[in-house]
Amino acid sequence: MTICGTECLLRVYEEHPDLEDYQGGVPRWCTGCGDNAVLAAVQRLCRDEALRPEKTVFVSGIGCSSRFPHYMKTYGFHGIHGRALPVAEGIKLARPDLHVFVNTGDGDCCSIGAAHWVHAIRYNMNMTVLLHDNEIYGLTKMQASPTSPQGLKSNTTPRGAYLQPLNPLTVTLGVQNASFVAQAVDWIPEVLYDIISAAFHHKGFSFVRIMQRCPEWLPKHFEPWVRDPQKTLLLTHEQGLRLSPALAKVYRNQETHDPADLDRAREIASTLDPIPVGILYRNPNVPCYEDLRHAGQLRTAELIKTGLEAEFDKFTIWPHEETPETERAA
Amino acid sequence: MQGDTDMDMHLQEQVAFRLTGQAAGSGLRTVEAVGLRPALLANYRDLTRLRYDFPLVLVRNGPDEHCVRSLSGIIDAVLQEVAPRGPEGERLRKQVLRLEREIRAQTAKGVAGPLSALWDKAARRLVAASDEPLEDNLDRARAALKVEGKLLDCNASTPSRFLIHAWTRCQQTKARRMLGEIGALIVKLSDILRANTIGSEEGRSAESLRAAVGTAHGEVFDFDVMSRLLARVSAGSSLPLSRLRRIQWALSVLKSQRFFRPDSQRAPGGGEEPYAFVFENCTGALDAFRERLPRMIELIKAISVAELEIEGRYSEARHDAFFEAFYERALGPNDLNLFPDYLVCLGGESANATEDARLWELLSSGLPAKILVQTDDILEESTVGEGHFAFGARSARLAGMALGLQQVYVLQSSSSNLLQAGERILRGLRYAGPALFSIYSGAAGSAGDLPPYLNAAAAMQSRAFPAFSYDPSAGLDWASRFSLEQNPQVDRDWTAAGLVYEDESHQRVAENVTFTFVDFVACDPRYARHFAKVARDAWNESMVPVAECLGGAPQTAADKVPYLLMADCNDVLQRVIVDDRLILAADRCRERWRMLQEFGGIRNSHAERLLAREKKAWEEQRQRELESLKSESQVAPAIPAAAAAPVAPVISPTQAESVQEEKSSDEPYIETPRCTSCDECTQINNRMFAYDANKQAYIADLGAGTYRQLVEAAESCQVSIIHPGKPRNPNEAGLDELLQRAEPFL
Repeated sequence: MTICGTECLLRVYEEHPDLEDYQGGVPRWCTGCGDNAVLAAVQRLCRDEALRPEKTVFVSGIGCSSRFPHYMKTYGFHGIHGRALPVAEGIKLARPDLHVFVNTGDGDCCSIGAAHWVHAIRYNMNMTVLLHDNEIYGLTKMQASPTSPQGLKSNTTPRGAYLQPLNPLTVTLGVQNASFVAQAVDWIPEVLYDIISAAFHHKGFSFVRIMQRCPEWLPKHFEPWVRDPQKTLLLTHEQGLRLSPALAKVYRNQETHDPADLDRAREIASTLDPIPVGILYRNPNVPCYEDLRHAGQLRTAELIKTGLEAEFDKFTIWPHEETPETERAA
Repeated sequence: MQGDTDMDMHLQEQVAFRLTGQAAGSGLRTVEAVGLRPALLANYRDLTRLRYDFPLVLVRNGPDEHCVRSLSGIIDAVLQEVAPRGPEGERLRKQVLRLEREIRAQTAKGVAGPLSALWDKAARRLVAASDEPLEDNLDRARAALKVEGKLLDCNASTPSRFLIHAWTRCQQTKARRMLGEIGALIVKLSDILRANTIGSEEGRSAESLRAAVGTAHGEVFDFDVMSRLLARVSAGSSLPLSRLRRIQWALSVLKSQRFFRPDSQRAPGGGEEPYAFVFENCTGALDAFRERLPRMIELIKAISVAELEIEGRYSEARHDAFFEAFYERALGPNDLNLFPDYLVCLGGESANATEDARLWELLSSGLPAKILVQTDDILEESTVGEGHFAFGARSARLAGMALGLQQVYVLQSSSSNLLQAGERILRGLRYAGPALFSIYSGAAGSAGDLPPYLNAAAAMQSRAFPAFSYDPSAGLDWASRFSLEQNPQVDRDWTAAGLVYEDESHQRVAENVTFTFVDFVACDPRYARHFAKVARDAWNESMVPVAECLGGAPQTAADKVPYLLMADCNDVLQRVIVDDRLILAADRCRERWRMLQEFGGIRNSHAERLLAREKKAWEEQRQRELESLKSESQVAPAIPAAAAAPVAPVISPTQAESVQEEKSSDEPYIETPRCTSCDECTQINNRMFAYDANKQAYIADLGAGTYRQLVEAAESCQVSIIHPGKPRNPNEAGLDELLQRAEPFL
């Protein structure tokens, strides 16, 4: 708002939404699914930040987690497989005023959408990306995903997965312009919320990998980590995650990690057991692509006309050797 | 013997001059019209041979921060780009520096124009006058010259031209931003109206549809049928009339505003002339502000309404009343700062009582007025009578007085320092409130043959017109707001500089010479009667440099005769003695400077007293400790000091161990904060288990379900946070088995 008074006026009448205001329908996920925890945390965030539904958009690809936009009473785009990120980037370029969230799964992001993922990191556009990683294809009933651990038996790997799993954290941290990388687990809701909140407040491409249980196809897969707090390494820092005293008592395995330290972040990212949870890396100084390209340019009649003309020119057959350039020169 | 008598006579004459200002006797001559100037200024007879800040270039392009640059700075930047290391580069450098000198000489002669024009002219002259081939090198340097703007030498028009230029650049930036915003609002509001028209009956009429398709394919469609078809489709609701009117009103106000004009364009649609914001007096500025106020409020209101409408957040119930009562007081300083500032350029001499009152009114009103007070003469004579100095009592003291207003940005500087003060001037122009710029031009013509630049520099150097700035937006205290930094040798009373000369026996003598207020006055022939040149044979031991006589009572140095070192037109050093009145005036000047120093935290008397007190207390404390140690060591010399140190008792900290309320295992409960909202329990019984405001489960109604359901929920909970406790109903079926199953979750 340009005028101070208007700003105050809006603040006086600021609406305080409830969590229910963001609930759009009953989730069709299996009972016990970790997606529910992510949904609850995101709805809490929307409520606490009083995000206006018409200014918020959730974009997803294909998979269980990609049903997420259906359950949010905001704008949503349930896209095509692996293409959540390009769609989100388009939205951000056209409407930089929107809060953009992306929900993607381990197949959607790390398999079919891997190329988009790598370049989205490099573009560093201001959006919050939640990778729901249950290490299995759940929607299509249990096939191995790129993040399935070696030896996991599934419908496509009856003798066990042959390959080492892909590590989304090390991949992200290895790409130029990475600006926010964090890891959460769905079974510690308090930390999940804090991390998603930090990701939301970071200006840039905030990548959060969420380890998530699939009670249907891999019911015991994360059991050891859920049961034993010692198997979770909580990364705390003044500039990062701060634990409540109650939680700190249960999860005693902690490390103070400065999110500005990229080298240490990469080391931590490579740890598989205990699972690191917290903000691994944050650099607020990486420029955002939409800022570099001055997105959100006003679409005046002239601008649209010039743009259209330029597009049509590409398909125009010019008589003789007359190209637009020669014509202009003339 | 004869010599001694002469000496006594000379001394008597000199002391008499000091006390009475009357030059009588053979050894003294009045300095009038002998062309003396302070020795430190002797080297600067021809400014065109000197590389210094002037001429300045009022840059048209580039960022606002660099809107004024010195010619030398620009040339240096060019040379850095084009002159390579080595002899070739050196030649180019010399040639371009010759060009710079030529441009400087032209400007000093009063040739005006943009830099590029003067450059080309100077280059042509050089090429014509020189034997060596210059053209290629100068062309290369010319190609690297990216800066364009008018040249500005140091003269009477410097302060106003400088300020108007910087102000214009700031206003252009402001206007671009606001025009962008207003333009965007116009487009977006028009979009709303257009969408409304398209959906209306009129928009779906055959004519509108035909017009929308255009002439090229007009024949292909039957627009009547199209119109009928579209009429059957629900068009959605059109805008309510009140909203439509509101949007139209805002749009018309935005389109007809006169505050901002696009660069080199008239108001769109050939509307009324845009407002002007440069004024010659405060009355004009105040009247204009009052007259435009209603239009300004209207525009702010329109922007506000437009933004709310575009966001879809205008609520008539909430906002109508507010906008009806929207008036002057609703404007904050930040709102006013969106609008162009009112620039008033005042010459100090033109002030009269009414205008003075208006000036203070404007400054204390908080309005975004930027006022330049230019002073050409700070040594004007007092109206009280001869011999009473009232140096710069009027306009030159304005800046100091304005400090008392607290919320005014104040900057005082002499012309010579303008380039260095540029950043602060910009800060003042951007400050959201009134700003006063008091600038001494040095161009009154009263300083003999001294050019305005040297006169202005001497005023600053001698503390007659010190530079300072006061920025209310920089912080809450004086330490953050007030700055004296730009003055030379800011920690000292007077500045000093090295003077090297040749004595009678042709030996090189280096001396540190102080430049005081008296030196500054000595440049002004109007005050020549306060000085007397002493013939060389009358120099004696009692003569001391002026600086040594300042700051003490004159009586204490009754037999001392203060003198200045001055150079005559042949650059011969002369001693010039000064009368007591001038010494008194210099003392007053020093006191004013001291006051500024205190504001700036230099030799602050409060701080010094506090420091002295603390130091004394600290020393006493230390003394006591030493004594007590001494007496202890006498009593018990065997105990080593370390062992004698008192040992702090180790108290185990009373840990604030949060005493977790031990839940009795008989009562069922859920660790709600750890719930992952997975629906397992609510699927079993959604009356017994419910979600709280954070969508985490708790036991809502124990009576709504059975113990079996509690146990089943505990078993199916993914994170095992449900604790079933003991059964409430002892008659429930299969209780033994259930209790066994519940065991792991108690």
